[in-house]
Amino acid sequence: MYAAGIDVGSTQTKAVVLDEGGRIVGRGIRMTGADVVRSSEEVLAQACASAEIPVEAVEYVIGTGYGRFRVTAGDDQVTEIGCHARGAVHLFPHTRTILDIGGQDTKAIRVNEKGEVLDFCMNDKCAAGTGRFLAAAAEVMGLGVEEIGPVSLESTERLKITNVCTVFVESEILNQLSRGRRREDILAGVHRSIAGRSASLLRRVGMEPELTFTGGVARNPGMVAAVEERLGLAVNVSEDSQYMGALGAAIFAVERARAGASRQEASR
Amino acid sequence: MSSEPRFQGSGVQLQKELLTDWYRRLAAAPEEGRKVAYLFISGNVGELLQACGMDLVFPEVNALQCGIKKVAGENILEAEDLGYSGDVCGYVKNDIGMMLKGNRMPHGTALPPPDLLVCNYAGCATYLRWFEALAEFWGAEMVVVDVPYLRGTAGPTEQEVDYVERQLHELVAACERVTGQRFDESAYRAAIARTKESEDLWVEVLHSARNRPSPIDAYFEAVFFMAPMYVMRGTEGCLEYYRALHREVMERVRLGHGPVPEEKVRIVMEGPPAWPHFRRFWEMFQDWGAVAVASTYSKVGGVWDLGERHDPADPFRSMARYMLGCYTNRNWAMRSELIEHYLDEYAADALVIHSVKSCRSFSVGQADLRERFIREHEVPTLFVESDLADPRYFAEAQMKNRIDAFFEALEHRRMTAGV
Repeated sequence: MYAAGIDVGSTQTKAVVLDEGGRIVGRGIRMTGADVVRSSEEVLAQACASAEIPVEAVEYVIGTGYGRFRVTAGDDQVTEIGCHARGAVHLFPHTRTILDIGGQDTKAIRVNEKGEVLDFCMNDKCAAGTGRFLAAAAEVMGLGVEEIGPVSLESTERLKITNVCTVFVESEILNQLSRGRRREDILAGVHRSIAGRSASLLRRVGMEPELTFTGGVARNPGMVAAVEERLGLAVNVSEDSQYMGALGAAIFAVERARAGASRQEASR
Repeated sequence: MSSEPRFQGSGVQLQKELLTDWYRRLAAAPEEGRKVAYLFISGNVGELLQACGMDLVFPEVNALQCGIKKVAGENILEAEDLGYSGDVCGYVKNDIGMMLKGNRMPHGTALPPPDLLVCNYAGCATYLRWFEALAEFWGAEMVVVDVPYLRGTAGPTEQEVDYVERQLHELVAACERVTGQRFDESAYRAAIARTKESEDLWVEVLHSARNRPSPIDAYFEAVFFMAPMYVMRGTEGCLEYYRALHREVMERVRLGHGPVPEEKVRIVMEGPPAWPHFRRFWEMFQDWGAVAVASTYSKVGGVWDLGERHDPADPFRSMARYMLGCYTNRNWAMRSELIEHYLDEYAADALVIHSVKSCRSFSVGQADLRERFIREHEVPTLFVESDLADPRYFAEAQMKNRIDAFFEALEHRRMTAGV
């Protein structure tokens, strides 16, 4: 039996396929774009191809993320808050707090030992402190988003980026560059500024260790370092951090498929 | 006794008729020689002004109606064109915009200009500025009743009640000067007696939410139920309405009818509604079988459910007490205590705070309130934000995501706990 989770995020759509034992057997990812339905179908096909199974072999699908109601293959929907929590506790069982930084959302989630959400806080009406903020900084530096983290780690001088606006950060960076500041230092400042915003969200839910860092931005080593420095503790980061929402959705899907099978069994 | 519903929907119909008549009368006021007072809802002195022969306009009610009818956005832009900043209260800007466009309600009634502006709630500094702007625009007289903000948790002191009561007598003198009519004390007492009876009935309606299932949504429905109590308190029509509503709600209790097909979660709501997206906002709760069993916003016109009443034997002093005790005049310790009391009295499962950008006197402190209820009382608490008038602040996807995540987590925890 196979089950899948599809996470339609604001920037990327991800899919994870699990086998009956809850092991990840396939992954799929692409830019979400304007056609949400197609994106969700494609990532599922991609994940099934990597698992070397036909799409029909997937018994239960759960959609999550902003586009969760547009996942046509979805049997049910769960919010990405619930899914990130579930995925994080699955991979790191001692997780009690989760920091998820995605394309447009930053979330702080407090969970119990079962991965159930006890409290959460998110950024409101403003994308400062999210992946979009980093993308804007990367663009103005002429670097790729995957490059800025390692570059920021080369910083030698502490520099404060005060700006809290994704749009105006560009002019602030240009100003710093024109004053002769090094890009490594500017980028380290950008990362610290996001870590500061994340810390205030975490404070609002009452952070308890262990902290697991999820979402696409968790793949950025500069961001991991900035968060760890700000909080003064080591954080859990998985290779699959950007698939965490899809993984959580897939875990819910496996459980629901099993519950459905046992109901069928009982009614026989 | 027949189990067939007899009174279902009668409250809605009656309210519609009463409000239509109310606005018709209001529109005719200048022609028929009646003077018009503009005033605020919280701690309003409607009975007193009516006993001076004045008709009443509540700009806050106009603003919320413009919100529901989806014209507040245009009115707000009109006020912003005049120079009001994006941060100014949406109610104020709606009113200014509406005024600039001819002071017409969404249903077409042209409102008469004020002869007197009564700033009866001084707790909101913006409200003072609002009426000052109207006073300048219309060239009308303005009276401020200074209502001291409550300190401590024991309620108003006798000196505070004296202070407000004295000002009510001064207000009567101002009204007599504007209308050229004598204040009719016996009419005032009779109105206060009707008010008291309406308050008794309204409180029983609110208390009906102690039932399981709750027969009413004490937020999404109560904000409509409260309308006559706010705009026409003390009138025959108002009393008639609460008798009808009471019959209807008691019938719902008898039949076991509630506002959703199956009540799954009982919540207490804090904060004003998202008027410009009211229906959609409500649906997000209905989807989860969530019913508000108590709310603070339905008390902005008066917190009668704690026992306070207008008293025909002492109509000035009881009015002063009422004005001091209105919800937004209570400090945070009192507001927090009230919410705690609601969670307990109505056996609620969770607290939902809808914070609005426009109203600082409502919203400042709500983030702390959320933390307090989660950490000290271990009550699942959700904080969402939009606005009560400005449609631009309502981000549907974000709102729904937070509401879904909250109820999903509640449902899941219940499931695994086997409840």
